[in-house]
Amino acid sequence: MKEALRKFKNLKFVRVVGFNRVVLILIIFLMYGLFTLLTPILRNGSSFVNYNRIMSAFNYAYFIGFLGLGVTFVIATGGIDFSIGPVMFCSALISGYCLTTFNLPLWLCILISIAVGSIFGSVGGYFVAYRHLPSFITSLALMQVAKGVGSIFTKTQSVTWPSDNPSISWYRDLVKWNNFPTGFVIFLIVAAICAVILFRTTAGRYMLCLGSNKEAVRLSGVDTRKWEMLAYILCGTLAGIAAIFYVGAYTTVQPGLGDTFNNEAIAACVMGGTSMAGGSASILGTVIGAIIVALMQEGILAMGFTISYQYVLTGLIVLCAVTADITSRKRKN
Amino acid sequence: MNEVILTMEGIDKSFPGVHALDHVSLEVRRGEVHALMGENGAGKSTLMKVLTGIYTKDSGTILYEGREVCFASPREAQAAGIVIVHQELNMMGHLTVAQNIFIGREFKKGLLIDDARMNEEARKLFRQLNIDIDPRETMSRLTVGKQQMCEIAKAISHEAKVIVFDEPSAALTDAEIDQLFRIIRDLRAKEYGIVYISHRMDEIKKITDRVTVMRDGQTVGTLVTAKCTKDDIIHMMVGRVIYEEPKTQSRVPKDAPVVLKVEHLNAGRMVRDVSFELRKGEILGFSGLMGAGRTETARALFGADPKDSGDVYVEGKKVNIQSPQDAVYEGIGYLSEDRKRYGVVLQKNVTENSTLACLHDYIKYANIIDDAEERKITQKLVDMLKTKTPSVDQLVTNLSGGNQQKVVVAKWLISNSKILIFDEPTRGIDVGAKQEIYELMNRLVQEGRSIIMISSEMPEILRMSDRVIVMCEGKKTAEFDVSEATQEKIMNAATREISV
Repeated sequence: MKEALRKFKNLKFVRVVGFNRVVLILIIFLMYGLFTLLTPILRNGSSFVNYNRIMSAFNYAYFIGFLGLGVTFVIATGGIDFSIGPVMFCSALISGYCLTTFNLPLWLCILISIAVGSIFGSVGGYFVAYRHLPSFITSLALMQVAKGVGSIFTKTQSVTWPSDNPSISWYRDLVKWNNFPTGFVIFLIVAAICAVILFRTTAGRYMLCLGSNKEAVRLSGVDTRKWEMLAYILCGTLAGIAAIFYVGAYTTVQPGLGDTFNNEAIAACVMGGTSMAGGSASILGTVIGAIIVALMQEGILAMGFTISYQYVLTGLIVLCAVTADITSRKRKN
Repeated sequence: MNEVILTMEGIDKSFPGVHALDHVSLEVRRGEVHALMGENGAGKSTLMKVLTGIYTKDSGTILYEGREVCFASPREAQAAGIVIVHQELNMMGHLTVAQNIFIGREFKKGLLIDDARMNEEARKLFRQLNIDIDPRETMSRLTVGKQQMCEIAKAISHEAKVIVFDEPSAALTDAEIDQLFRIIRDLRAKEYGIVYISHRMDEIKKITDRVTVMRDGQTVGTLVTAKCTKDDIIHMMVGRVIYEEPKTQSRVPKDAPVVLKVEHLNAGRMVRDVSFELRKGEILGFSGLMGAGRTETARALFGADPKDSGDVYVEGKKVNIQSPQDAVYEGIGYLSEDRKRYGVVLQKNVTENSTLACLHDYIKYANIIDDAEERKITQKLVDMLKTKTPSVDQLVTNLSGGNQQKVVVAKWLISNSKILIFDEPTRGIDVGAKQEIYELMNRLVQEGRSIIMISSEMPEILRMSDRVIVMCEGKKTAEFDVSEATQEKIMNAATREISV
């Protein structure tokens, strides 16, 4: 058994993708099978397998995935960001309000959404990198600010993006175009860009190194503050992009919410193999993690449970993934 | 003569690869201040740690008040009456003086802490010591000197009979030292046995009755302080036979160009008005005892810590170094004494570590790293430095100390540094690898680079340096050409007391 496991770990495919990721992919199939089996039993013959459900799971995976990609950069530097969910909602509220109330063109509103995210990222990054605040506290504070700013801007009204006006509803095509999941393609492209940034550019190299030993990187003559801040800016920007995909799927955003998505995005990130200790990250892992989170949510609803079960499960997943990471690190030392 | 209260005899203690204590003896009498002296690494701290139960001895006997003892923990030693007043004070700044003194054995009224009684008891202690401190004051608001007196009061409250002072005067002002001495004399009169560890020769003469000198883990001897001179003590401290051949004269021509000039550098308490010059192809040794301010000087020069004032010239041009970035730009590289914390990124591989200082030179386009080039240059350096690593993809954490050091050297060579600051280059490196590092340094200067070498090992200083600068308490106290430098002269300058 042990021998078989060792051989499996040495397969070229497994080495390239990473053992952790291979296990996660197996888990996806396992979950899918489990839901297919259990849904008819629990819900009197209704079936889990249908096209709409898969699309619905994808819709959820996109925005969680974009948030997860962003927070992967931050976690790689050894930080954490608990503001991404509310920042996403804040972006969606402000840009949506500009679209529906000020009648600004859609392309500009999309840019506004991304800009709002970047601004939150820059502010957080500045305080963490240049003022040496703990990222935990900084992001909790910004989470409150984001919730408040979104509410104030829309006068505590929810915003519904237009869904039937062809001239200003093309943002929905970014998510789904004639039943084709365009969102999935865009998500994979953005993930690929993120992977290039993190693993192939100097910026990514510095982020990963400073997550591992910031002082050694600084003493090598690298401006660690700049690169650390950049991680937060990327994270905020991706939250702004996530906002477009959220409204593309669900059209309506309510003020004062969004924090439940933090944990789901972080769960996607850590189960994918990005270490909370900083220094090592996996973009592919985050992509797979986001799909698992989305599939889990879909399965829980399909089987007739409430969304509260999802909260319990994501909480437990974070605990398990971080425990596994810390245990494996200890063993290595 | 008073009766002996503490005898340590034939104490042996080994760590993997080091014989830290080799048959060491120490005898302390009641009502005596006994100095314990020696260079860094001579074994003073280890001996005190064996005494107080932090380390277990391999062999030897400790007689305390006539009985053989063997403490399993500092707590047991404390209960028996042996207490150390550490150089770094173990105080909780946000608590009051009285709360600090009685930490872990608070007086209680039912379930609640009885602060009034603790204040009263603390006041009694201070009265006994003739110290004027309010027990209700918050600890962090006291000066270092007063904090130390609280530590002494705490020791007395443990009903100590033997008190060990570990470099008590290092952080004190002159007035505070005077008061400290008054307290120590007081304690002596009250028949306490006192061990006094210090590097300040003048203090030793002033306050101690006898002095025991240690060198390389052995006791050299015990002298009556009143009957010996400073030179006698220094001679005992450094009088080892040096097996490695010291350099007899500098290889650097007198007219070699000055590549680095530092003038009146000030940075915090530890760097005070330091000026020096470094010539092309020279190894400039920085000698001194621990805490002399050598590392701090290097860090301030390198921009790692902020400096208060001072000018730095690189190749005659005045430069303004505000951060390590600026220093690297000027061609200066710093190899820290603590490699694992400040030198390498342990969880990254040899390539990533080697190109860290000049990654921007290895990009193809749009900041995308040129993987192949990067690995090529790293491989070249691995071959040149003979770094023992299975491949350039190996994580640095899996390499030995000497090879990690070579990775750091590679980092600075790839970034083409002209001036290298080696801070304790062979610390934690085994003998064979040491030799390699020495040869490497010699090769680097032959190629026209210049080296500043900070070292606490006297033989290393004498063997490698062309010129030696000695520091003591943040100041430069001497400068020698290697042809004139001797262990005695260096130690003399390193222990020179400077009036502030």
